[in-house]
Amino acid sequence: MNNEITNKKIGVLDPKVLNDLLIKYSTQSEIHKWDMGASSSRDISVQVQQGNAKQLKGSQRNSMTLRVWNKYNQVGITSTSDLTSEGIKKAMKGAIEASLFGNEKESPEFSSLAKAELEEINPEISNSHTIDQLLSILKKAEKQLINTHKSIDSVPYNGLNESYMERIYINSEGANRHMKLSQSSIYLYAKAEEENKKPRSAGGIRINSNLDELDIDSCISETSDKLISHLDYKSIETSKYLVCFTPEAFLQLISAFSSMFNARSIIDGLSLMTEDSVGNQISVPNLNISDEGLHPKNVGAFSFDGEGTPTQNIQLVSNGILTNLLHSEATARKFGVRPTGHAGLGAKVSVSPDWLVVSKSKSKMDKDSSLSIKDTIKEYILIDELSAIHSGVKASQGSFSLPFDGWIVNDGKKTSIEAATVAGDILKVLSSIVKIENEQIVTHQGISPHVWVENMSITGEA
Amino acid sequence: MTLLQTKQGENLLFHTFDDTLRTQIEELLALGKSAGADLVEIFLEKSDNISLLAEQDDISNVSPSFGVGAGIRVFLGKKDGFVSTNDLSIAGLLFALNQALDMLGLVIGSNKNHKFDGLANFKDFGSKKNDWLDHSPDLDESTTKLLDATRSLGNKNKNLQVRRASYSRNWQEVLVAATDGVFARDIRLHQTVGINVIAQKDKNRSTSARRYGSSGNPDDLRNWDIEKSSVELNESAQKMLFAEFVEAGQMPVVLANKFGGVIFHEACGHLLETTQLERGTSPFHDSINKQIAHRAVSAVDEGLSNHAFGSISMDDEGMEPQNTLLIENGILKKFLSDRAGSLRTGHPRTGSGRRQNFSFAAASRMRNTYIKQGKFSPEELIKSIDNGLYCKSMGGGSVGPTGQFNFSVEEGYLIKNGKLDKPVKGATLIGEAKEILPRISMCANDLDLAAGFCGSVSGSVNVTVGQPHIKVDSITVGGR
Repeated sequence: MNNEITNKKIGVLDPKVLNDLLIKYSTQSEIHKWDMGASSSRDISVQVQQGNAKQLKGSQRNSMTLRVWNKYNQVGITSTSDLTSEGIKKAMKGAIEASLFGNEKESPEFSSLAKAELEEINPEISNSHTIDQLLSILKKAEKQLINTHKSIDSVPYNGLNESYMERIYINSEGANRHMKLSQSSIYLYAKAEEENKKPRSAGGIRINSNLDELDIDSCISETSDKLISHLDYKSIETSKYLVCFTPEAFLQLISAFSSMFNARSIIDGLSLMTEDSVGNQISVPNLNISDEGLHPKNVGAFSFDGEGTPTQNIQLVSNGILTNLLHSEATARKFGVRPTGHAGLGAKVSVSPDWLVVSKSKSKMDKDSSLSIKDTIKEYILIDELSAIHSGVKASQGSFSLPFDGWIVNDGKKTSIEAATVAGDILKVLSSIVKIENEQIVTHQGISPHVWVENMSITGEA
Repeated sequence: MTLLQTKQGENLLFHTFDDTLRTQIEELLALGKSAGADLVEIFLEKSDNISLLAEQDDISNVSPSFGVGAGIRVFLGKKDGFVSTNDLSIAGLLFALNQALDMLGLVIGSNKNHKFDGLANFKDFGSKKNDWLDHSPDLDESTTKLLDATRSLGNKNKNLQVRRASYSRNWQEVLVAATDGVFARDIRLHQTVGINVIAQKDKNRSTSARRYGSSGNPDDLRNWDIEKSSVELNESAQKMLFAEFVEAGQMPVVLANKFGGVIFHEACGHLLETTQLERGTSPFHDSINKQIAHRAVSAVDEGLSNHAFGSISMDDEGMEPQNTLLIENGILKKFLSDRAGSLRTGHPRTGSGRRQNFSFAAASRMRNTYIKQGKFSPEELIKSIDNGLYCKSMGGGSVGPTGQFNFSVEEGYLIKNGKLDKPVKGATLIGEAKEILPRISMCANDLDLAAGFCGSVSGSVNVTVGQPHIKVDSITVGGR
């Protein structure tokens, strides 16, 4: 066997070759309308344990979703990870078979913007690193984190990753999108234990397009600071509290109920909103929410969505009023608006937000402007991170009941909460906001200031 | 296209995974050994899946998919390197092998004293399963069945605003070969059906969902009792439509059988995987032969129950599954272990090395995990409580790294003076495995299982959770 490494360019997609193959097989099958989304990724990652390499991973992955329209304009799709000529031929056959079951009542079309000019993103593609370099960085980070406090005994969950991704969208009418980007991330989740106390844990994550610019030091200090602050903990009484959501926690909550802004969910009856909700007041009047996939801090942004529509920044809530929704081609057609660049690719196309940005409207006042994360002396609960989002949120009903990590703050003194759950109704929360702080903070999932909400139900551990 | 141009030699996509691959795989494994690796393992996979969705009275999504891939893992001491690829050409596999070796600083041919005795006799666990894919329902049959389900739901009540039924069929052919001689193939077939509704009356809304799943049973969808499922789901949605929010507090609860077992799975089962022991996050790491639960509790994890969702003929490291007694009368007896877990913790392998697909390295994972049944009737458990909560249907939840858990109750009823009272919503059960296990004081005689998906370090795998009705003497119930 020849042991030469011949696949140095494995994982690289060529839109022209893909296009030629699809033309060939669609012509053979008498399919005149089709589109295809493909992606490819290469990544390496490391995990460490007490100074030693634990697991080292690498992958090269490709995938493709092919969509065809049959002569009755029914749509069928097939997805595959086999991008060989034979694989693509098989995918064409599968999509044609699936099209016989396409929904005639709601058939997607090509996006009217699939050939529109794209916003310039031009992400820098970083130089790749070796596994040894990644290991060295992560070992150092683990050691630094453990050394920050005598009670921190381990970092049981950790990882450093470097990946390169590309995405293609092409269709039978000549649309041709292709974009590449690089991304690196680190997560550190440390554990600490003190005598006669329960083990406590906390974590941090950082993402950047370039490993060399990944802010590892701040990830270490954030994880350490949080963990140390959780060492002394107490249970709290079950009651109603004034709550301050950190930017991360508020974005988690808004994301969990993003079906409010999702035209697909509204059409399907899975949203709190209806087709007539645009223009309605849904929160206090000083709240703004937008989806800004093109925001320069959004690492990993692609300039087009699954249907080839350019990524766009969309104002969703302005002065508390629902102003716009997120759309695919099909939902935009139904609502009589333009697609917004938030679609996936499928027979039934999904819609999802890219990068939520929460801000305070300058024209409206806070209900309680005296509140401030820096110097409030009132008792309040600071919610830092919500858990169990997938199970504790009933998006179609608006209710949630979620465990959280956080502190009870009294006269400026923070004490960690042993275990607690926050419950409520999202529309009630949005209308009970008493203060939106001015400073917006960039997180790995979006941007938000601290947001204060009154009368939140908290269940402590009895 | 560069990717296509680099394809060389045979493409294993069009090859049955059988003994004819022996020579090629042995050559790859020998190269790995020649680099000085302690052990090299190759996992090959082909998949053929369908997922369908019916909404109201239409089929709204038909999504077939198929794929190929390989995962190559190299062990050196207690370290391992793992590389996955979609490229099953010989050149693609060689590239992946070299990458995995390189991660551990190994170079092919550098160890002249390597010894690889070749693969053992081929074990074909899939030899009687080759027709499973052809015997599964085709698109026509499965879409018809889903539409029957949404129609049946529609007939039950006019206030069901959303009626959805989904079906997934996942077929997988795998081959495992390793330098310790393992050479085995299997075929897996998993089918799941999900139904969910949103009921609405005035401003009240309730959601209700059920999921059913099986392994190795091509007729499963055909035999699905739609009427029974839709009656149960509709009843649940209607009862919860006007339910009031539960008041938070500490109270005794009775957890129903079947999916009630999700708490044991999440809050205790994961802590008995060697994956957790390796991380040092299991509070039970030094508790073998110690009392960790009430003596009423005995629990097992096994991969053998006929057609159960978590059953397997071999794990993803080629080992046959076992019936693993985890807890006996409250005493911890055994951990679940895979190859890496055994290497790093010393606990023997239990046929529990599992992975979602080729892109994950196998890890110790649960299969069919349940608390064994006791001697009481479910009614006796409820009768024993003056003021408490009956959790008829559980939702999902989360578990922290050291066993703190939080689970939502989908359908709950207050218990008053030993009897079921009004329905309540918004309840969550909050606790910590180490503290709650000793409080499971009664187990009923109605053990039953439910299918589910478990997400963890090696991806999402099919599992079964289960238990009889159980009573927890005291637990924190979150509410409003």
